[in-house]
Parts: sequence; C-alpha cells; structure tokens
Amino acid sequence: MAQQILVAAIVVIAFAVSAWKLAPARRRLRVLMALDGWTARHPRLAGWREQILKPRILRAAGSGCAGCAANVGVKPHHPPR
Amino acid sequence: MDAIVAEASLRIALVGVPNCGKTALFNRLTGSRQKVANYPGVTVERREGERLAADGRALRILDLPGTYSLTPTTLDEAIARDVLLGRVADAPAPGLVVCVVDAVHLPIGLRLALEVKRLGLPMVLALNRMDVAERRGVKIDIARLATELGVPVLPTIAVKRGGADALIDAIQPSLWEGHRRVAAPGWQESSAEDAEQTQVDLRGVLAAVGYSAPQESHWMARFDSVLLHPLYGLLVLVAVMFVMFQAVFSWAEAPMDWIDAGMSWMAAATAASLPAGPLSSLLVNGVIGGAGAVLVFLPQILILFLFILALEDSGYLPRAAYLLDRMMGGVGLSGRAFIPLLSSFACAIPGIMAARTIPGWRDRLTTIMIAPLMTCSARLPVYALLISALIPAREVGPFNLQGLVLFTLYVAGIVSALVVAWVMKHFAGARQYSPLMLELPDYQWPHAGNLLLGLWERVKIFLSRVGGIILALMIVLWFLSSYPAPPEGATGPPIQYSFAGRLGAMLEYLFAPIGFNWQISIALVPGLAAREVAVGALGTVYAMSAAGDDVAGQLQPVIASTWSLATACSLLAWYVFAPQCLSTLAVVKRETNSWRYPIIMAAYLFALAYVASFITYRVVGAWA
Repeated sequence: MAQQILVAAIVVIAFAVSAWKLAPARRRLRVLMALDGWTARHPRLAGWREQILKPRILRAAGSGCAGCAANVGVKPHHPPR
Repeated sequence: MDAIVAEASLRIALVGVPNCGKTALFNRLTGSRQKVANYPGVTVERREGERLAADGRALRILDLPGTYSLTPTTLDEAIARDVLLGRVADAPAPGLVVCVVDAVHLPIGLRLALEVKRLGLPMVLALNRMDVAERRGVKIDIARLATELGVPVLPTIAVKRGGADALIDAIQPSLWEGHRRVAAPGWQESSAEDAEQTQVDLRGVLAAVGYSAPQESHWMARFDSVLLHPLYGLLVLVAVMFVMFQAVFSWAEAPMDWIDAGMSWMAAATAASLPAGPLSSLLVNGVIGGAGAVLVFLPQILILFLFILALEDSGYLPRAAYLLDRMMGGVGLSGRAFIPLLSSFACAIPGIMAARTIPGWRDRLTTIMIAPLMTCSARLPVYALLISALIPAREVGPFNLQGLVLFTLYVAGIVSALVVAWVMKHFAGARQYSPLMLELPDYQWPHAGNLLLGLWERVKIFLSRVGGIILALMIVLWFLSSYPAPPEGATGPPIQYSFAGRLGAMLEYLFAPIGFNWQISIALVPGLAAREVAVGALGTVYAMSAAGDDVAGQLQPVIASTWSLATACSLLAWYVFAPQCLSTLAVVKRETNSWRYPIIMAAYLFALAYVASFITYRVVGAWA
C-alpha cells in the first residue's frame, strides 16, 4: 500500500511538472508574479521569496521582450503592413 | 516586478557595435555566463544581471544587442535604441550608459559613441580589446579621447580576469547620483545631414587622438585567401563538417558504452533490491529505461558542440557565412540568415530569435520557417539510436559508415531547407535584395576556458532537460503505459490494454502506411514536448512491452531485431523534418505575433515528413 501511495505521489508530481514546463512563458510569469504577491504578505517566506522566487521571476521576465507580461500591449515584432 | 526593478540603485546599459565584446564585459561585470562568440549577432535581446557596488547597493546591468547606429534597420537594433530611450514598458531608461568600443576598430565604435552621447545620458566609454590593439600597433591617446568626448574613457580587456577593474571603479552609484536619468527630450533619428556631421566629428576626434589603424596580419590574409576562395573555401567547409560528423560517432563510442553499462547495472540493481511492484516498474522501466536511454547520448552531443564552439571562437563561422551567401541568395535567402540557421543546429529556438537581425520581414519569415529543418541537437539521440541499431559500424574506405549516414542526414536537412526557401521565394514573389554586410572578426585560437565553459553549459542544459521535462514525461508515459491493468485472462503484453497502448493502436492507422508500428506511434506523442523524448519513450514502451523481461538499457538490440530497415529509414526520414516540437511553434507564434505562421509551419513540416517517410519506406522496402 505504501508503495502505491508513493508511486501515486510521484506520478502526480510528474504530471504537474510536465504541465508547468510545457506552459507558455507568459502564463508561467503570471503565476510567478501571483506567487510573489502572496509571499509578500507572509514574512516567514521572505528568504524563499528573495533567494528562490526573485531569480526565477527575473529569468522569466528576461526571456524576451514579448515574453514579459508587463509588455502585453507591446507588439514589437509585428510584421510591417 | 516594479518592486524588483526599484531595488537597483543604478541601471547601467552596455551598448556598442556587434562583436565588440559587450557580452564578455557583461559576464565579467555580473559573473554571468551568457553566450559569447567571435562573430556578430549573438545577442538579440536585452539581458540583465546584477552586481553589488562597493557601498553594498545593487547595480542592474543590461547587455543590449549590438547596433551600428541609433537609426535601426533590424529588430535587435531597435531593442537597443528603445531601451536607451526608455521606450520599453518594464525598463526605465538607464542611469548610466557604458559604450563599449573595440579599440582595434575604433572608428566604427566611436561613430556610435558620438550618436549615443547626443542622447544626453550619463556615459562612460569602455575601450575594449586593448591587449589586441597594442599587439597590432594601434595608437590611441586615451586622455585626449576623454577630453574630446567629455566622458571618462577606460581601457578594458573583457576576457581577462581583472581586465575591467577600472570600469568597475567608474560605475559606482555614488559617482552618478544627481545625473539626468532620461534621454534628451528632443532627440530624433539621424537625418542625412546629421550622419554627415557625425562623420565630420568622427574624423576630427580620430585626428585629435592620433589614431593609427591596426597593422594587417600576413598570416590572416593567407588564411583568408584559402578559406574565402569560392572553390577551396567550400571544399574546406565540407571537409570540416565531414570530420565533425565522423568524430561524433568515432570518438563517442567508448564513453557511450560506459554510460550504457552503468544504466544496465543500475536497472539490474534496482530490480534486485526492490520487491516486484509498481515502484520497481516505475524506476526500472520509466526512469532508467526512459530517461536513461536519452542520457547515453550525452558524449555525442558534447563532441558536436566541441566542434561548433571551436569554430565559433576561431572566427571561422562568419567566413562560412560569406562563402554561402551566393548560394543562399540563389534560393531567396538573405546572407544574414546564415547565423540564425547556424544557431538552429543547436536548437531552432535561438535560431528563430536570431532572425531578428534580418531587416526585411519576408526574408525574416523565410528564415523562421526553415529554421526547424536544420538538424537540432535534440534530433541527434534519435539519429544515433537508429543508426547504431541498423547501420553496421564498418569502414567505407577511410570513413566510418555510421558517420557517413549521419552526415547525409544533416545534409538532407540543409538541402530541404534550401528547397523550401526556394519555393517560398516563388510563392512570395520578387523581394528586395538585402546584401550581406558582415564584419569579419580576427582569427584566434579557440580559448580553452571558453570551450570548457561552453561544454559545461551544454552538459547542464542536457542534464536539466533529462532530469526535468524528460524525466517528468517518462513518468507520465510509464503511468499511461501501465494503467489500466489488463483484464482477467488477457494474453498480450499489459501495455496493449493501457491508455498508451490504446492510443498507439489508434495512431497506428495513421502511421502504418509509412511503416511505423504502435510503439513508434506512442513515442511520437511525448516527442511533441522535445524531440529526444521520443528515444526515452521508446525505451519505456519497449520495456513495458517486454512481458517481464527487463530491456532497460538494451533498446538498441531490441530495435535491431524487431524493426525492418525500411521502418528505421522511414523514421529517420520523419525526423529530418520532425514537425513535432511545441516549444519551437510557441516561439514562432511569439516572434511573428500571429498563430497563422506556426500553424502553416506545423502543417507543411508534417506533410513533408509524411511524404518523405512514405517514399523512403516504399523505396527501401522494395529494395531491401
């Protein structure tokens, strides 16, 4: 039984990781930003926010100007009409 | 995000012409390891890094794409200009501009520096590659240059430890407090008169600082007379590529055998130490049989990249671009497409992004559409697996037959790309000719540190893929291949009754005409995430199909004994076009800002792959 529970947990985590890795960069950034807002209200998570979350957000935001949620209205690569 | 940006006390932008050493300087300042290479166009988007100032405050440093002027002709140049002008939504204008100028080719960089100075932002000029400039007899009166420009001028050697110390001292935030942080409000793009005036100013500054041009190197001229020769140059290029693919098979054999033996031992030890059950099956068939099957190909990928990195560092690649310009122009491609297409041999994604350096939209679109036809490193495990399984490892004259087949597959990808570009040219009609303007860098010996760093980056990328997305997908596939359990009295292998087995049986109808069995059909589905996942998926599927026999780590002999030569060749032909890579399609959507082009790309690649596999399967089947 314990073996089956462990395998089930591994499979659930694998599904979650696959979904996260295959999600578009913009959606991942939005999730990270939401997580940033939530952790900001919990001082106990300040260390995790600074050391783990912040570099991830910077990496996600730096993945290209169109990959950044802050640039959702900017269309720098649109073909000329 | 705003909070994170606000924490930096000073935002510093590195700006300069292509290949002047901005990214090397960025790496030196931030301790980052961004890709650097001895050719222009490596950086096509802004990159950010941090450095702590002497007073403990944070400096945010931006590495901008190279640009020859603030009147951009390409997207990457426009990014550099927009960041300097503060036009990018999440990036306020920098508080300090470090204008990086290659001291060896001072006039080109200084022209841009004069333009940037007119923006009115605080500026420092980093005179980079001073060591090479001194060796080649370049004379510059640095103090006079600082006086003429009215900004601090600091000599740097970005590739040398301690080579940017003077610059680091000059960018302390305390020195730049109270300076303006926005570009001059009335700034406009240069008119013809402005450009003329800049040229006059440039001549004046060069005369004042006593600039003398670098001495020509005789051996460089001799090399160029051979490597840029229309016939000898092409022969050398083909020979270099040929040796590279031979080495991929010949040199990698021993380390691959070691990894393979390690995987087999690990599978046997895991099976022996755990009681039979789902955990043992997951670890042996899913994790070791799946992710382990991909890991075996690490040595081949590293050998391929060793060659590519050495060629990059030596300064040979822009020469290859020059050689191929005429041929590429003949099929309607811009000469500027060479670097993006070359990048696509590592992965189509940076290649597609590097197409930003191409000025015309039509040329850029053609390059984007054919980039996935360049054989990316993710396809190498698939090729290597099938070639090792079905092509005998014997010599044909002085050549290794397996290496010969691999070379042919790479050439097939290149030829297909040229044909597609030619067809697109005819569909799109006449286009404006866009000449290749490329600054040929100096030759240099590949730097051992750069090579090791580059290889280490590839190891990290590969291992993070194997340990991340590939491992996760293999576990998902193991689950789909194991459940639901077979009904009472079932006689076939359990996988046939699972979700994956049923999906494979359905897909087999579609793929049977091109010779794919249900195991291959299943493997193509997770291969949508990344192409090399198909190898891991085959490992898992065959391990699960083996009805009790452990085949983890033994995928190659299973394929050799159960597949026909026609099926293997058909799958190889499929992977020359390999329409399945979701990440590539997502980047095409982002770069073209439209769903139309990724859909067209997926459709045409699928059609080409299917037709090529069909023809290959029928021809080889009739012949074998």
